[in-house]
Amino acid sequence: MTARSLQSGAPARERAATPSTWSRIWQNDAPGYLFLLPWLIGFIGLTVGPMVTSLYLSFTDFDLLTSPDWVGADNYIRMFTNDAKFWTSMRVTMFFVIFSVPLKLAFALAVAMLLNRGIRGLPLYRALFYLPSLLGASVAIAILWRQIFAGDGLVNKLLLLVGIEGPSWISNPQYSLWTLIVLSIWQFGSPMIIFLAGLRQIPTDMYEAASLDGASKWRQFVKITLPLLTPVVFFNAIIQTIEAFKSFTPAFIISGGTGNPINSTLFYTLYLYQEAFAFFRMGYASALAWVLLAVVGVFTAFSFFTSKYWVHYDE
Amino acid sequence: MTIRIDRRHFLMGSSALIAAGAAGISPAFAQAERLRMLFWGGQARADRTYAVTDLYQAAKGTDVEGEFLAWNDYWPKLATQTAGGNAPDIIQMDYRYIVEYAQRNAIAPLDEFVGGALKLDDFDADQLEGGKVDGSLYGISLGANSVALMVNTTAFEEAGVAAPTRDLTYDEIMAMGEAFNSANVRGGMKVIMDGSGSEPMLDNWLRQKGLALYTADGKLGFDADAMTEWFQLWSQMREAGVCVSAEDQALDTGPHETTMLVLGKAAMMPSNSNQLVGFQAVMQDDITISSYPRLAAGVGGGHYRKPSMFFSVAGSSANKEAAAEFLSFFVNDPEAAAVLGVERGIPCSAAVRDAIAPTLSEQDQIALNFVANLGDLLGPLPPSPPAAAGEIDISLLRTLSQEVGFGARSPEDAGPYFVTEATAILNRA
Repeated sequence: MTARSLQSGAPARERAATPSTWSRIWQNDAPGYLFLLPWLIGFIGLTVGPMVTSLYLSFTDFDLLTSPDWVGADNYIRMFTNDAKFWTSMRVTMFFVIFSVPLKLAFALAVAMLLNRGIRGLPLYRALFYLPSLLGASVAIAILWRQIFAGDGLVNKLLLLVGIEGPSWISNPQYSLWTLIVLSIWQFGSPMIIFLAGLRQIPTDMYEAASLDGASKWRQFVKITLPLLTPVVFFNAIIQTIEAFKSFTPAFIISGGTGNPINSTLFYTLYLYQEAFAFFRMGYASALAWVLLAVVGVFTAFSFFTSKYWVHYDE
Repeated sequence: MTIRIDRRHFLMGSSALIAAGAAGISPAFAQAERLRMLFWGGQARADRTYAVTDLYQAAKGTDVEGEFLAWNDYWPKLATQTAGGNAPDIIQMDYRYIVEYAQRNAIAPLDEFVGGALKLDDFDADQLEGGKVDGSLYGISLGANSVALMVNTTAFEEAGVAAPTRDLTYDEIMAMGEAFNSANVRGGMKVIMDGSGSEPMLDNWLRQKGLALYTADGKLGFDADAMTEWFQLWSQMREAGVCVSAEDQALDTGPHETTMLVLGKAAMMPSNSNQLVGFQAVMQDDITISSYPRLAAGVGGGHYRKPSMFFSVAGSSANKEAAAEFLSFFVNDPEAAAVLGVERGIPCSAAVRDAIAPTLSEQDQIALNFVANLGDLLGPLPPSPPAAAGEIDISLLRTLSQEVGFGARSPEDAGPYFVTEATAILNRA
């Protein structure tokens, strides 16, 4: 708004000025919105629309073939009071998240530290170590995993060399979830790349000063590397936790979509998929999806809340 | 997922789409002379099916565009397309789902076309009956089949054990298993897979006891004691090393390649007669089929000739009559029948059976003879199962059989648990 229109002060003038203000905004911002349009259409049509629909469906009984019946909060009530499989799948997923995320981050950090020593051919190693992340969630790798961890698979053949007769890892309920955790750790590539970038940010003179003062390598790691890396650790932890909650393909392929043996790999997402596409309870499956969203939201909020106690953004 | 559209049609289709989009009208794909068909199966089935659609195109000038998926992917796809009002004209349908789809008008009754576009003059009465829901014809059976044990005859020869006959009993399996174990072929191959989680095998066993998996009104047809006895039977076999271990059995997640038979861990496994073709295709050893074991010598009635699958017409189809005409061609035309063989089951038209009998391969002959000569093993066709049967099979029977197998639950505990949970699932659906 120009100085002149402010001086006039009369409400009538103000109202008269409005159209021209709007047209000015339009003239200034229209190109921006126009460029946004393809994304905006996609976002509203393919993300917001389906989400709102699924929120509505979560309060209904819907089998795809007949129209949805409104059942109020029944789906949510059933989930928490009368569905043992819901709790089983929640427990499996929590176990997976709690073990796979820290182990994967630790492994990624360890490899990043190794690669951060200025070795020759670094780009090659970086690419090689990143490769599993590109392949890891694929169907082919899940099938390969089945072969490696089967009773007569590669792992047991190696164990046999040292005289140990291993079980069939993927089909034994005691170990099957661990094979999926190992598969997840193996896809350490993307947190590793981010750690590597974070390590490069730490000024080398700090290490020089520390070693002049006689600090051991371990002490340097604990007192310099880790504190300065906490923002990166925090970022990786959030991203990987969300990824772990959403994990689906490996369990789906390795167990043939059943979550077996004895529901030991029944990830929450797998249970959701079964309810929706094997038993056609779209309403219940939608409710499951919203509960997952809430759980991930709570986890993330909790991480942000605790972050002020352990993440150091200061110089 | 595999769609077969040739390039000309693809280009025509996409240009039509663009033109329609530009003109602001919706494309009218569902006009006559073009039908869409969806079916489940593998490449062998697809090749045969597409050969028939080519024949039909040549004979009648109507295009039938087929698309096929694996069983597990098929049902979500079909349900989604049906819900979106975009169901294919011709739908391959299973006995398990036909009632559900018919009652929701997702598939159309075909009675009005019978005698006209749809000729079923010498169609087997029991197969025709199997496609009826509440007295109306909703599905045309594409072949009869029966449950059958796949038997690896090569392995039996190696072990020096006589292959099973149609008089095989559960007790004899125990004896065979011990003979197999002492022969110790192929790194400890067992005589049979663990069948405790196999719904058809349980069904067959119950029928021989005069019980049923489900009653006509969709309730459970047996009690906790029967179920306990079933789990005990298999626990005994597992402990004696007659069937495979729980750990091995858990490798089987459905596809042929993960089964104990194909993995070479067991010489026999329960399956269906029309699957012989599919199993033989992925195995080096010679495979044949035999009947499921009897409870005791002379006890029969467990088997039945079931429609292996149907073709149905979508309730929303704009070309129901054209679709019915194609179905008629599919089940009656001698040339089509020669291409199809018995891959979907034994053809239901007597004339077709006679026409193709001399041209059949060895496996096809075995399957045909098996289904034709069930004799005292044959019982009546059970009523179609309730809608929740699939869930009880997948999330209860199979999981519970693993719990017993791994020792997490005793048979005495699993029996009552199964009945309670199955009843809850049936009441919920």
